[in-house]
Amino acid sequence: MTTTTAPSGATAADTAGAAATTIASRVRDRARATPDRVAMREKVRGVWSELSWASYWDTVTTVAHGLLSLGVRPGDRVAVLAENRREWLWTDVAAVAVRGATVGLYPTNPAGEIAYLLAHSGARVLVAEDQEQVDKVLDVIDDCPDLEHVVYLEPRGVRGRYSHRALLHWDDFLALGTAHRVAHPGAVDDLMAAAADTDLATLIYTSGTTGRPKGAMLTNANVDFAVRTVTDGAGLADPPPGPGDLILSYLPLCHVAERVFTTWSNAGAGMQVNFAESIATVPANLREVQPTLLFGVPRIWEKILATVTTRIATASPLKRAVARFWLRVSDRIGARLVATGGRHTPATRLAYAIGWLFCYRALRERIGMRRVRYAASGAAPIAPEVLRFFMGIGVPMHEVYGMTENSAVATGNHPGRVKLGTVGEPQPGVELRIDEATGEILTRSPGVFAGYRDDPAATAAVLEPDGWLHTGDVGEWVDGTHVRITGRAKDIMITAGGKNIGPAGIENELKASPYVKEAVLIGDRRPYLVALIGIEPDTVGQWAQARRLAYTTYRDLTTKPEVVELVRTVVDEVNRRHPPVEQVKRFRLLPKELDQDDGELTATQKVRREAVTRAFADLVDDLYGPGGDR
Amino acid sequence: MRGRPLLRTSYAEELALLDTPAKRGWTAALLVLALALPFLLTDDLLQLLAVCCVAAIGAIGLGLVTGYAGQVSLGHAFFLGIGAYTAAALSGDPDGRVIGLGVTDIALWLPAAGLVAAVAGVLVAPLATRLRGLYLAIVTLGLVFIGQHIFNEWSSLTGGAGVGRPAATLEFLGRPLAVTDEIATRDQKLYWLMLVLLLVFALAARNLARSRIGRAFTAIRDRDIAAGVIGVNLPRYKTIAFAVSSFYAGCAGALLYTVTGFFDPGSFSLLLSVQYIAMVLIGGAGTISGAIAGAFFITLLPRLTRELQAWVPFISTQPNEVPNVFQVETILYGVLIIVFLIFEPRGLFGLWIRARTYWKAWPFSY
Repeated sequence: MTTTTAPSGATAADTAGAAATTIASRVRDRARATPDRVAMREKVRGVWSELSWASYWDTVTTVAHGLLSLGVRPGDRVAVLAENRREWLWTDVAAVAVRGATVGLYPTNPAGEIAYLLAHSGARVLVAEDQEQVDKVLDVIDDCPDLEHVVYLEPRGVRGRYSHRALLHWDDFLALGTAHRVAHPGAVDDLMAAAADTDLATLIYTSGTTGRPKGAMLTNANVDFAVRTVTDGAGLADPPPGPGDLILSYLPLCHVAERVFTTWSNAGAGMQVNFAESIATVPANLREVQPTLLFGVPRIWEKILATVTTRIATASPLKRAVARFWLRVSDRIGARLVATGGRHTPATRLAYAIGWLFCYRALRERIGMRRVRYAASGAAPIAPEVLRFFMGIGVPMHEVYGMTENSAVATGNHPGRVKLGTVGEPQPGVELRIDEATGEILTRSPGVFAGYRDDPAATAAVLEPDGWLHTGDVGEWVDGTHVRITGRAKDIMITAGGKNIGPAGIENELKASPYVKEAVLIGDRRPYLVALIGIEPDTVGQWAQARRLAYTTYRDLTTKPEVVELVRTVVDEVNRRHPPVEQVKRFRLLPKELDQDDGELTATQKVRREAVTRAFADLVDDLYGPGGDR
Repeated sequence: MRGRPLLRTSYAEELALLDTPAKRGWTAALLVLALALPFLLTDDLLQLLAVCCVAAIGAIGLGLVTGYAGQVSLGHAFFLGIGAYTAAALSGDPDGRVIGLGVTDIALWLPAAGLVAAVAGVLVAPLATRLRGLYLAIVTLGLVFIGQHIFNEWSSLTGGAGVGRPAATLEFLGRPLAVTDEIATRDQKLYWLMLVLLLVFALAARNLARSRIGRAFTAIRDRDIAAGVIGVNLPRYKTIAFAVSSFYAGCAGALLYTVTGFFDPGSFSLLLSVQYIAMVLIGGAGTISGAIAGAFFITLLPRLTRELQAWVPFISTQPNEVPNVFQVETILYGVLIIVFLIFEPRGLFGLWIRARTYWKAWPFSY
């Protein structure tokens, strides 16, 4: 039931010889092969409403006709500004079907960034979710000369109140599509038959921790490579993902990782996508859906670990004692699994089986991971302790590595061959080498992108003529098979003592504590390392309450000497594992939570290092000043 | 979805009575145990359990009007009485000392008893649509006194105070239902019969409670003005609540005295109403299983206090000595109601909920 069964869809393609396999053709073939199976679920008025493959493809066809009737031509861009929902996938696949390309925008993007992205991508049609998004777009629509139509999904507050000529309700848009479909029945099939491997499939903007976001162009061939790698047996889960698997789609679809996981592998392997209601309801939705495959970014895994820790700490004495005992056991199981690469020994299997009865089964059920058979962490570096926790309680956890520019496919840990602290082995079809001089990782594969849109200089800087991609990550080989990432090339700090330090590792060790949400290491051309630390308000708040420590706001909480002491124990703990030059000598707590609207975080919640050091320059100066050891 | 009880893809799944495999399993186990009890217990206990089952039907009825719809009714004894006399009169001996029509088939007199009581309920309902809370309680209290007066004076129907009359005859399609034969004793059969009837009535009530009507009831209970504002027709649903509740009471009344075979008008006093209120409150207002648990608990209480006497020897079994078991029993009623209202307002069912959430949240506390 995997991917490369193209012949069934070849009928429409006969006219043009060999049409390229695209996301659209995969959805169409799946709709023909298994029309009644569930393709996706979305919660509508309290129940998970199911959508079959047949109706998925039918709606995609209508949307594709709608796009045609709005004047979308091959090579045009269609932008989507919405949370994960069915319309996202319909539009995405429909855009590819008419040989257009999809551009995803983060719903959290402020208006200014939306203006930049819309203007830079040259999108002609935008699908916007609701009034909030429409408002942002209408504010900046004059700066987007190419934008002709804004299709909104939620009519509340928009229909009947706004009268901008570009606005169009989704239902009216579908009606246009239906009319066009009746008038030109074969239009979409013809376009699909003419699809080429080199057609642009999607334009994905990189998060831009430094400078403006860059639009990475991924072609049909790139996407197809990613789909094949993820859904073939050798790629990720074993046995490979199939129609019996459930996933929860909750990370922004604008990001390449969630696109691979939701849209692309759904089309490729036929697994059932379930859309989370929102990022805030992810824990509840996980419990309901109990997915079998789960992808998360480090922040999610850290947050779940922090939740488990605090909720066990606040449980009644008996439960607390039992849970703590079994978590100590799972710690040992985890350590053993780390040593064996993820394979159980008879002893760990027995310990786990007993613990399953008393704790692990219930615990995994509560956090929605009872049925997870393959879990992956990627998109940013993560502390090994966090991964080990999940391995210990029986969630098979694998760190994977990729980036937008190589279609998110570079390396991955494989079941049974996990090496903790590494990002795994190069995926099949991926060549990987490490530059001897700089230590930078380079990859070459059919997944490597076609270049940045309208930015030949930036393209030339990362893409060599022979196809090698400069990832910008510095790494090393472990045992000749696995790759360990030591940091971002441009983040490497050289202290005044001349020592090169990659901050990500130490930052992640700090963030592995349930009390630490953000950690920003500073030390480039400075005498020693210091850190700006953002506390996790939930857990620290709970901790303060348990100690009857009165506080009002986040800021107030960070000024409590007890809280500073608490964080100091975390920092000391991390310091103990490092040689003196890599120790955090001093730290300060950030007086506010970092926020995308203030430019301190990217849309993917990554810290913009320069922005933070600039915004809190006084704290940094203070840290290196005479009174720094407060 | 199969194997994922929380992944509900339709409202039917969400409303299912037994929505998890665990619930299905435990309900089946409980049912098997209940059906097997006659082989495990002595006949006197079975007779008591048969009474429990009937009381549970009555308690479910009161639970519907008081627990679900929030209309406090102290008049339950009145409706029980109407049911008991309707059934007895229908199935009584035409040549006897009291009124009897000779319709001995349970399939006829049981629904008839329920319907007559339901009609009485509908007649009372207009009061309920106009009155709330304490006023409604006092008006329904009045019903009990009116009823008691009529039952005492109408001796051609009831046999008169202190004398009484035989209860309805248990016959189905011409065959007696509760007679000892080579297969089973009278009490075993009686228990099975009442258990099956309880299951039917309980299931019907559960279905009613999860329907549109049941949701209207809870809306009225939580705040009748708000319920009216969101479109619940208050007079209509309050009338339905009283009618259904009285139907249950009528059926329970008709069956209640078939176990002992004889009853007198003094039974339908305020004390009977209070006992049923106690069943609902101690069991857990607003739940069917709670009403059943409460009915069993209150009905078995006298037996339990008598067993208690073996452990606490200074309590006498003689009614003329102090303290005696009857006093202890009366005191226990009061104490239990107070204790439950203060410490576990959700009743016995609340205790179960507590136990369940404790394990459901494992290894967390919430």
